[in-house]
Amino acid sequence: MRRQTLGRKITKAVLVTLLLIFTLFPAYWMVSSAFDARASSGGQSLLPREFSFVNFEFVFTEGNFLRFLGNSAVVAFFTVLISAVLALFASVAVARFRFRFRTGMLMMILAVQMVPLEALVIPLFVQVRDLQLLGTLTSLVIVYLAFSLPFGIWMLRGFVAAVPVELEEAAYLDGASWGRMFRSVLLPLVAPGLVATSIFSFITAWNEFIFAMTLLGGEDQNYTVAIGLKQFFGLHSNDWGAVMAASTVITIPVMIFFVLVQGKLSNGLVAGAVKG
Amino acid sequence: MAVTTPHKAAGGRRPPAAPPRRRTPLIVRTRPWLLLAPALIVLAGLLLWPLVRVFLFSLQDYGLREIVSGEPNWIGFGNYVEIFTDSQLWTVVLPNTVGFAIVAVLGTVIFGTLVALLLASLGRVWRLIVGSAIMVAWAMPAVTGTYVWIWIFDADHGLVNSMLQGIGLMDQPFNWFTNPVTFYAIVVINIIHHGFPFVAVTVLAGLLGVSQEMLEAAEMDGAGPVRRFFQIIFPSLRQVFAVVFILSTIWDFKVFAQIYLMPGGSGSNREVLNLGVWSYVESFGQNRYGFGSAIAVLLTLLLLIVTAIYVRYLLKEDEL
Repeated sequence: MRRQTLGRKITKAVLVTLLLIFTLFPAYWMVSSAFDARASSGGQSLLPREFSFVNFEFVFTEGNFLRFLGNSAVVAFFTVLISAVLALFASVAVARFRFRFRTGMLMMILAVQMVPLEALVIPLFVQVRDLQLLGTLTSLVIVYLAFSLPFGIWMLRGFVAAVPVELEEAAYLDGASWGRMFRSVLLPLVAPGLVATSIFSFITAWNEFIFAMTLLGGEDQNYTVAIGLKQFFGLHSNDWGAVMAASTVITIPVMIFFVLVQGKLSNGLVAGAVKG
Repeated sequence: MAVTTPHKAAGGRRPPAAPPRRRTPLIVRTRPWLLLAPALIVLAGLLLWPLVRVFLFSLQDYGLREIVSGEPNWIGFGNYVEIFTDSQLWTVVLPNTVGFAIVAVLGTVIFGTLVALLLASLGRVWRLIVGSAIMVAWAMPAVTGTYVWIWIFDADHGLVNSMLQGIGLMDQPFNWFTNPVTFYAIVVINIIHHGFPFVAVTVLAGLLGVSQEMLEAAEMDGAGPVRRFFQIIFPSLRQVFAVVFILSTIWDFKVFAQIYLMPGGSGSNREVLNLGVWSYVESFGQNRYGFGSAIAVLLTLLLLIVTAIYVRYLLKEDEL
């Protein structure tokens, strides 16, 4: 450790303080407005002027947010489940087998990750409409698979490759079939990676906005949380207290999962990208 | 006990060459494809086919009638001609898209790198505290984050306006959202706030791997902090920076919710349109799905160029 001069320390303290303010202020302001009964009538003070739960009550009773939370949970659950199974199988295939077009497949999965889904709203909307699924939660699960699958394969591939081949061979020597080896050796060892990718797809499905808005249209009993917020925006005035209370409710599960997954998430993004 | 040569041959990264001459059972040979099939079907149906279709739509005058009947209505490159002759593209949409992406990417990467350098110089406890705070910013969903920034800059009751009025800098509330410059300034703040944690965490991980001896030697030789960054840190983190730059570029070119949700961002204020929002409002607002598709194709092509650089860069480094 180098010795630090006093001036250096002070500069650093100031920088850290400024950084903390910039980083945390939006989250603080969201929670603070959510607990302020008078948030919508203008906020000059940094603390809630009238601390109460009235905004949260409104969000859950009038705002029907329990329903939206349920919808989002259902969509996220099925997205996570299906994409985890499909991604696991596919990642085992590309990490453990040598076959023709393997490199081609990997390149395709990587390239497909770069396709801007925002540019595919129109064809996917038409497709969902042709399947007569507009306004249903099923349509969202289907579309969100496209979001989470390529990244899931890419990330799980690293976890599968990290399992020593010798363990698999030992299982075969003990007379296990491929299926048995998969269940008893590979699956338990890849489980942490599976959890990490699942949380990632959960967060994606939970936060997604453009497809939820487009595919659900006017079916407001099927709204997910991300678009359920817009009902608090009036023609002339917005109920900011309610918006912030609902936002807080939406953000909490994401924060929790994010803390659980963050190390793996950044490693996965970089490992997948840098190391290939 | 079953002899397991086929499994071994199939299951290893180890023996790279020389596949077994012996015929392997069909199930073993098809197993990778059986495992890949479900994912490939989903990707083909949800990504590749729509990608083809958005291009096909872009060659048609595709409106509500065509959606209902399913009949094609080919007009060749008419939509593209209309886009490229539309002055809106050159004066509003492209400058908004590209200009915003450049500012936002540079802002995010520079700010994130500075935060990473600050984090690297902190002790264990403070690094943990600041790191956790950064996670909070990262975890904030784009939709709720955008609403919070709108609320902070709200014209009637927002914090910024009341504070500026409170200290006497302004007599009347200012609407930050009607002027394209202030509108995009808010989007930039929003994007940097949401995007810098990824950069900071990634660059920090790279920084911890930079040789301390080299840095100390450079300092002994009288190299200042700026010089040390550009001469030692940046070259050894070149790959990390490439990834961070390219991912941020992709994210910032296609930014949608952060603009669409802002007051006037959903098409009512034509001055703030970017490619993504323009495509969306033309299709779902005006029912001009063909025209919207053509814009979407342009956006995809723009991103494809970035992706091509990305893939080429990867291929150079190792062979997958």
